[in-house]
Amino acid sequence: MTPSCGRRSELHEPLSVDERCLRLNADDGSAGTLLGMRCVECGVTVFGPATFCQSCSSPRLEQIDLATEGTLYSYTIVRVPPSGWPGPVPYVLGEVELPEGPHVLAEVIDCAHDALRVGMPMTLALRPVAMPEVPDSERVVYKWRPA
Amino acid sequence: MTQFRPGRDVYVVGVGLHSFGRFPEQTLSDLARDAVVDALRDSGVPWTAIPVAYFGHVYYHGMSVGETTLAQLGLTGVPIINVENACSSGSTAFWQAYWGITSGVFDMALAFGAEKVPGGPVTVTAENSPARYIGGDHMMAGYALRMTRYMEETGAPASAFAQVTVKARQNASMNPYAHRKDTYSVEDVLNSRLIADPLTLYQCCPTSEGGAAAVLCAGDALDAHGIDRSRAIRIAAAALTSGNYNGRGSDHSAFSPYRTEPAALQAYEMAGIGPEDVDIVQVHDAATIGELQQVEALHIFPYGEAWQATVEGRTALTGDVPVNTDGGLLAMGHPFGATGIRQVHETVTQLRGEAGPRQVENPRVGVAQCSGAGDVTTVHILTR
Repeated sequence: MTPSCGRRSELHEPLSVDERCLRLNADDGSAGTLLGMRCVECGVTVFGPATFCQSCSSPRLEQIDLATEGTLYSYTIVRVPPSGWPGPVPYVLGEVELPEGPHVLAEVIDCAHDALRVGMPMTLALRPVAMPEVPDSERVVYKWRPA
Repeated sequence: MTQFRPGRDVYVVGVGLHSFGRFPEQTLSDLARDAVVDALRDSGVPWTAIPVAYFGHVYYHGMSVGETTLAQLGLTGVPIINVENACSSGSTAFWQAYWGITSGVFDMALAFGAEKVPGGPVTVTAENSPARYIGGDHMMAGYALRMTRYMEETGAPASAFAQVTVKARQNASMNPYAHRKDTYSVEDVLNSRLIADPLTLYQCCPTSEGGAAAVLCAGDALDAHGIDRSRAIRIAAAALTSGNYNGRGSDHSAFSPYRTEPAALQAYEMAGIGPEDVDIVQVHDAATIGELQQVEALHIFPYGEAWQATVEGRTALTGDVPVNTDGGLLAMGHPFGATGIRQVHETVTQLRGEAGPRQVENPRVGVAQCSGAGDVTTVHILTR
């Protein structure tokens, strides 16, 4: 985190990129939990918000904390980013399978490109991200790094 | 789950295209109108005889573009419906036209689509979506994730994927409507710049502009409209599906091609045929991996074996199941609203035996499959 970010977070509570997907557990935004919705009827769990079960359409869902570790289902090194991407280029995009079932797409950090392997264990990491030249756009974003 | 009650037989009696490519001087309406005029001319049916029209497009070019486009042909007062179903918008318009006729509501219908896709990577979420922070909303990155996984599971080499592009370019070199007509070697494809590893530029379809149209007619109305039965191609099945949980949620296996399977099974059931009866196939090859996985989802080849079939030449024009005979999205380009109807255009042209230098030998059954964001899938089966 840059010094300017540190000063800002003293003035402003850090904000989750999406409160329905990521709950922050520390005042400085350094810790958090991915959120899922589990169906009470059939047990199917999805990442992020849901009103009805994806599988059986039951309205009886409960929010659960998802595991902070999973395995890398697939990955790619993105050389041409989508418009609005605020991070470095290239970046690694990883699809991580969690033990509860959901797959969560996010940037993979702290991993050399030639060390990437399908099936490698990954752990949740949180980083502040701001949109360039957009005031008050800093959000805490979930990412993956090798466990 | 889905009940089918097709009534009357429905035929494609005219098809038309506006070339695919980049046309900065032409509006969306220009592209759409030219394709419609081409299809009407092909059918011999005048615009004044068309009782309903469905227009597929995605990017915003003002309201009611279907109406303003067809107004150029004369204000006949018929219902005109604008359809947005992502990359399947055109094939969804075609599906609606089919069901409008087979159900007995209309004797004829026009399905048309056009698009001017902006350059650069395609995203599906809104500008202010949290997805922009995450970095996962990137169509080709989604395909790259599938490709990495497919290579891991099947052992397919990179050269097998490149062969899909080599074939597409060869087919398109014989197609005057294609966006990309120059041919490449496997090495050219693999050495083009990386977009999202392991996908290289030439393994990704170009974003394009273009238009496509089809005129449909009930079998029992062909004679009344003076249509040449020898050139009419029967629609044996028209299936459209959205996401089906089926053990895997929408957050599983990003952009899973296997959502095609339910639509394929519906279509085979409607047509009363199986994958072994299919002579030619057009699939949604937005990237090379897309073609391989879609033909597997259509059960043309077993899972994990389409790459081998491609390397062996089985999907080439001279193979036993030619795939994407006009160049597909990879070489035709991909104007979203037009693509699904372009696939119908190619299937009809092949089944009529009018495909010129890229004509497949005596095809009788053709399948056209198109995918779109939102897990939209269409599968149409056409027969001679």
